[in-house]
Amino acid sequence: MEKLFPEYPFSIQNIENGLWLIIALPLLGALINGVFGKALGRKNVHWVACASVGGSFLLSLLVMWALGNVNTSVFNPFSPDISRYALSADYGTWFSAGSFKVSFGLWADRLSATMLLVITGVGFLIHLYSTSYMEHDKGYAKYFCFLNLFVAMMLTLVLADSLVLLFVGWEGVGLCSYLLIGFWYDDNAKAWAGRKAFITNRIGDFGFLVASFLLVLLVTAAVREAPQGTPVSSYRFSTGLSEKGPLAFQSLSALATTLAATDTTAKPNQETPALVMNRDIETGPLKGYSYAGVLTAVLLFFLLGAAGKSAQLPLYVWLPDAMAGPTPVSALIHAATMVTAGVYLFCRISYLVVLSPFAMATIAVVGCLTALIAALIAFAQDDIKKILAYSTVSQLGFMFMGIGCGLFWAAFLHVVTHAFFKACMFLGAGSVMHGNGDETNIKRLGGLRREMPWTSWTFLIGTLAITGIVPLSGFFSKDAILFGLETQQLTGYVPVLHTLYWLGLIAAACTAFYMVRLYVLTFEGKRSPLAKLPHAHESAWPMTLPLVVLAALSVLAIAHGLPLLSLPHSPHHSQTLMEAYLFPVFNVANQLGADTQKLLKTGLDKTEWTSLLWTGWFKAWLIALVSGGISALLYFKLWRGGRKFPAILEPLRRFAQNKFFVDELYELLFIERAKGLAKGLYRYVDAFFVDRVAVHGTAQTVGFLGRVLCWFQNGNVQAYASAIALALAVGLTYALLQVLS
Amino acid sequence: MIPTSACLLLSAMLFCLGMLGVLLRKNALVIFMSVELMLNAANLAFIGFARQHGNTIGTSGHVSAFFVIAVAAAEAAVGLAIIIALFRTRKTLDVDEVRVMKH
Repeated sequence: MEKLFPEYPFSIQNIENGLWLIIALPLLGALINGVFGKALGRKNVHWVACASVGGSFLLSLLVMWALGNVNTSVFNPFSPDISRYALSADYGTWFSAGSFKVSFGLWADRLSATMLLVITGVGFLIHLYSTSYMEHDKGYAKYFCFLNLFVAMMLTLVLADSLVLLFVGWEGVGLCSYLLIGFWYDDNAKAWAGRKAFITNRIGDFGFLVASFLLVLLVTAAVREAPQGTPVSSYRFSTGLSEKGPLAFQSLSALATTLAATDTTAKPNQETPALVMNRDIETGPLKGYSYAGVLTAVLLFFLLGAAGKSAQLPLYVWLPDAMAGPTPVSALIHAATMVTAGVYLFCRISYLVVLSPFAMATIAVVGCLTALIAALIAFAQDDIKKILAYSTVSQLGFMFMGIGCGLFWAAFLHVVTHAFFKACMFLGAGSVMHGNGDETNIKRLGGLRREMPWTSWTFLIGTLAITGIVPLSGFFSKDAILFGLETQQLTGYVPVLHTLYWLGLIAAACTAFYMVRLYVLTFEGKRSPLAKLPHAHESAWPMTLPLVVLAALSVLAIAHGLPLLSLPHSPHHSQTLMEAYLFPVFNVANQLGADTQKLLKTGLDKTEWTSLLWTGWFKAWLIALVSGGISALLYFKLWRGGRKFPAILEPLRRFAQNKFFVDELYELLFIERAKGLAKGLYRYVDAFFVDRVAVHGTAQTVGFLGRVLCWFQNGNVQAYASAIALALAVGLTYALLQVLS
Repeated sequence: MIPTSACLLLSAMLFCLGMLGVLLRKNALVIFMSVELMLNAANLAFIGFARQHGNTIGTSGHVSAFFVIAVAAAEAAVGLAIIIALFRTRKTLDVDEVRVMKH
């Protein structure tokens, strides 16, 4: 980078000062389109929308430039050292309560910069695509308003410098997701799909909040009790705390370093010096729990939050239904960006994640089961968008496996490559729908290769990328994760990771099978007689151009996944471009992980490592090829022309087609219960207590009192006079008695 | 000299007569006259006390009596106007017949 761009067009200081513009531009676009959209007219609406996201993209490029420079560093308010390859901007205190404080600040390091480019880059392409896809929709301005708002919120999420601001973005993208899933809200099923997504995400958000609260308590306890000489007991940390608050990421990083430090005040008779995190917390509300235990709880609650947002077991059910929204929305929100927020969150707090092997193993297991179950369900689906949705769930599972085995860069590389090829395929699916009268059933498509050449070729590239065929990017990102599962030394959980490796291979094989099935049924063979339109038409250039660019990116992203660079200090590893690029971000996590969990210490020498790498690659490639080949063979040759599915497998297919009845199970276990509870609350609290007792009761009491009192107002002045006289007499008698006694 | 207690006794008797008239008579005009009787009873009590104390506490007793007379005169003006208006609209002065100010 330095060689390519020796001089910057803008000084780093300027870029730092303008960081807020990246968020503000799409926000302004949303405001203009939301308020003046009708008055502007269609032409201007998409100009505003595309230009704002495009502007953000250019600014993100500047950030990327700046982060390539070794001199780009920021002062760390929590410790004496500086953070290299990062930009930050602080806009002062956001809110404070007692000693607790949250500052409003932005933070861009290489992790967020990569996300920035993906969000604004893919986002721009999808905006462009939408101008053609949504051409005839009556809610054109509203659609672009929501889409711009989503981009702004997602950028807030990745640029946040504390968990609190991240949560703002987290909720914001959830809101936009809800608005866009239910975009065609006059269709009841679509409105319900939006509600389902929203409520499922609420469950996850509850986990996120609880985890944040626990973290505040954990930081407070650590500040009080950590032994001298650890980062959180320093004077700088306390000034940082009063400046930025405990939930800033730099504070959490210092907390992680403290927890992994050796306890200098440990008793001398202990054989091995214990870590700080094995101590029990002595004071405060968490008294009696160990630091490690609370940290594991924090991570598990974060896992719940991430499972909601990133559609993992057990909260994945909303994502397939989210396909009710417009297809570009599915591509942007429910494939490329928003659903990867959970992975981003774990990458962001990677230094905390590596401290808890139990939480890591849980994350990996959850990811693996999700990958497997979603892949199995995808086998029997016939809806093109549903298949892609389940494959998204499945690929997100792979990313969680990467997090779980401590290979954050691999998980994140998969985020990036997945964003490219999955957005490409979703947009391809949208193009197919656009050209076929909104037909989504792949059994009623077919033979589109000749009629929609651009869509078909780009879709093929996407399919090959997700399948993991060698020269495409999906192979390297997926295989880096699988290789990590095979070789990582997660303390106490090595057999678990090894099991997950094999399950992951099965999931990869399933992916290859159903993706090839999808491609073959949609694009190859003859056009189905059940098709809505006799001939499909290729889409206009605003739709095909993004497809081509994304397909090209799916191929080119391979450069990030090749192990090209050799490491000077660890000679038997070679590094990929992505790993090297993200090294400053994950450096702390890698060190802590190596110290506490033996992560990244494979214990293999160079030849063993290389041979394992190559055999691993070969295995993964072979599996993808064989599975995809079988699928292609079956759907090309055997089951063409109305041939029946083998009867023995029919119940199994039914079972998978109905999504293993998970929705029905949830309906029975939770939704019915919740409905019962709601009905009870309605009947006894709302209808009886609030309506009957509180509202009607008050009215009736007042009315009764009024009726009693109006009996006295009978219009007879002499009765009134008697009352006065009587009262006077009683008063006088009383006064007399008082005087006399 | 007539003792103050005699004055007060007379005042109390007049007051009770007035009150009984207000409570028992049905004619609005008679009730009104009874009210005047009660006011005069009060006046008598004021004057009686004023006489007992002589000039030791100034002339406040007498002044009070004059105030009461002034109030009674004003009241007579308003009250008689009301009674005339009542009679014009209702053709009766029986208070049992004019029970309209009720719920």
